[in-house]
Amino acid sequence: MGSAHSVPAEMRELADRTGFTSEQIEHLHRRFKQLSQDQLTIRKENFDSIPDLEFNPIRGKIVHAFFDKRNLRQESDGLADEINFEDFLTIMSYFRPIEMNMDEEQLERFRKEKLKFLFHMYDSDHDGKITLQEYRNVVEELLSGNPHLEKESARSIADGAMMEAASICVGQMGPDQVYEGITFEDFLKMWQGIDIETKMHVRFLNVDTIAHCY
Amino acid sequence: MAPENLISTGIIQRDETPMEKEVVGRCRGCFSLADVMYFSKKGCEAVAEDEVTRRFSSEELLSWNLLSRTNANLHHVSWKLAAVWVTGILIRYCLLLPFRILLLMLATTVVGQFPNGRVKGWLSNQVQMICATLGVRCLSGPVHFHNRENKPQEGGICVANHTSPLDVLILASDGCYSLVGQVHGGLMGLIQKSCMQTSQHVLFERSEMKDRHLVRKKIREHIADKAKLPILIFPEGTCINNTSVMMFKKGSFEVGGTIHPVAIKYDPRFGDAFWNSTKHSIMTYAFNVLTSWAIVCNVWYLPPMVKEEEEDAVHFADRVKAVIAARAGMSVLPWDGGLKRKKVKESFKEEQQKRYCQIVIENGSVGNGNVC
Repeated sequence: MGSAHSVPAEMRELADRTGFTSEQIEHLHRRFKQLSQDQLTIRKENFDSIPDLEFNPIRGKIVHAFFDKRNLRQESDGLADEINFEDFLTIMSYFRPIEMNMDEEQLERFRKEKLKFLFHMYDSDHDGKITLQEYRNVVEELLSGNPHLEKESARSIADGAMMEAASICVGQMGPDQVYEGITFEDFLKMWQGIDIETKMHVRFLNVDTIAHCY
Repeated sequence: MAPENLISTGIIQRDETPMEKEVVGRCRGCFSLADVMYFSKKGCEAVAEDEVTRRFSSEELLSWNLLSRTNANLHHVSWKLAAVWVTGILIRYCLLLPFRILLLMLATTVVGQFPNGRVKGWLSNQVQMICATLGVRCLSGPVHFHNRENKPQEGGICVANHTSPLDVLILASDGCYSLVGQVHGGLMGLIQKSCMQTSQHVLFERSEMKDRHLVRKKIREHIADKAKLPILIFPEGTCINNTSVMMFKKGSFEVGGTIHPVAIKYDPRFGDAFWNSTKHSIMTYAFNVLTSWAIVCNVWYLPPMVKEEEEDAVHFADRVKAVIAARAGMSVLPWDGGLKRKKVKESFKEEQQKRYCQIVIENGSVGNGNVC
């Protein structure tokens, strides 16, 4: 009774689709079972049992991201009530590190996917644009812990940031032009040249903890 | 990322680069879209694996110890290993188990023969120790005691890390203690009641606020009387799975007196001593223990420690905790063992947010809101 040498077909399919190895998938499956308490799906409430997540200021947005149908590569929109293991893996795969054997095109696609994930986190009303209000929301959530900070300061930070974004994306605007919001293309433009790969990945290990016997 | 900032865990390798370094990067005093990346990465790491929940389930072993309960996924690898495993089962269930149950019954009947009325101190101490030693023999546990010279001689508080009720048995086989513990029902409650008859123990209800003050008072009185036995306390407050030491509750460190730390480490290759009280009842746990290979453990008696003048109880508790963890080779976690049953306090979340605020907004005044 040790590690299996033959991998079931569905596992291989999952591995191909999400890019994880079969050992990593097994580990994550165990974690999934722990979170879901041995059910087949996870709901929002199951994320309450993670103490480490509690002190993350954007906890709400992260949990939201797991249930966001846009991240789950489903054609529909809105929020799912519960996700199964496949969906769980899909979301986790956004945080995979880049691999050595990726070519230019794959790298570009990978980067775009990560940025899209980030974009969805900002764009909470799913309209494809980050408006000033949404930006303010994120800044406020991140800075809400500080009692010395007034709402005004958070707003002015957000406003300043939006102006900067507008100048990158649209260039000089006339006095009566209104900047509606950052679209995904603008978002991509803002990140051009900046290396996000190292910031947005989690190192998944390849440790095999099951005994071998020869 | 510098290699020394990466800490290896089971599924993922956490990036322990401090928030300051990661977020600041380009400029202090300005907010950046990338900051959200840092927090979302941390969030993903927490979802993939968190340090705390890992401690409340049995340790995952690198190499299997032939107990099916330690291996979450049973796969077939070779007939040889399967044959060894089946032999193991036969030995454990048909040989070790009946032998141990027999020994257990003998132990209880022999000790029960002692005359009831004589509660002379010495005799009852001996009874307690013999009882515990017989109990430990039942588990065929070679227990190695180190540094016996540090054992508490007269009064004082003995403090140890907690993994299971067996801790009490093991320590009691080498010395006599008064116990402080949670009131249990069922079989455990019966055992507790019978222990109460031989010496003075302090029992309380975990959720009772009033009880805590009462307990502290009783402990204070107890150690003031040098003639009484040293008190055995487990400051973690609950069973942890023996890979790390969690937050020590400061109550017992405020009382004063000398603290004798004891480190207990079980060898996971022979059996899993951890009692997951949310998952197994005491009967299931006892059955698991009796059908393991053995309970092997090392007990180190550490030199006594005293609270210094300007030190507060929390700092002292952390100091003792670090000493125990270092001796037993376990990691130190600041988290509260009570998280097994409760949720995290709001104050932790606010702490993190405050730190981030301080980076982005210097000296309470707003930066110029640049996007970098």
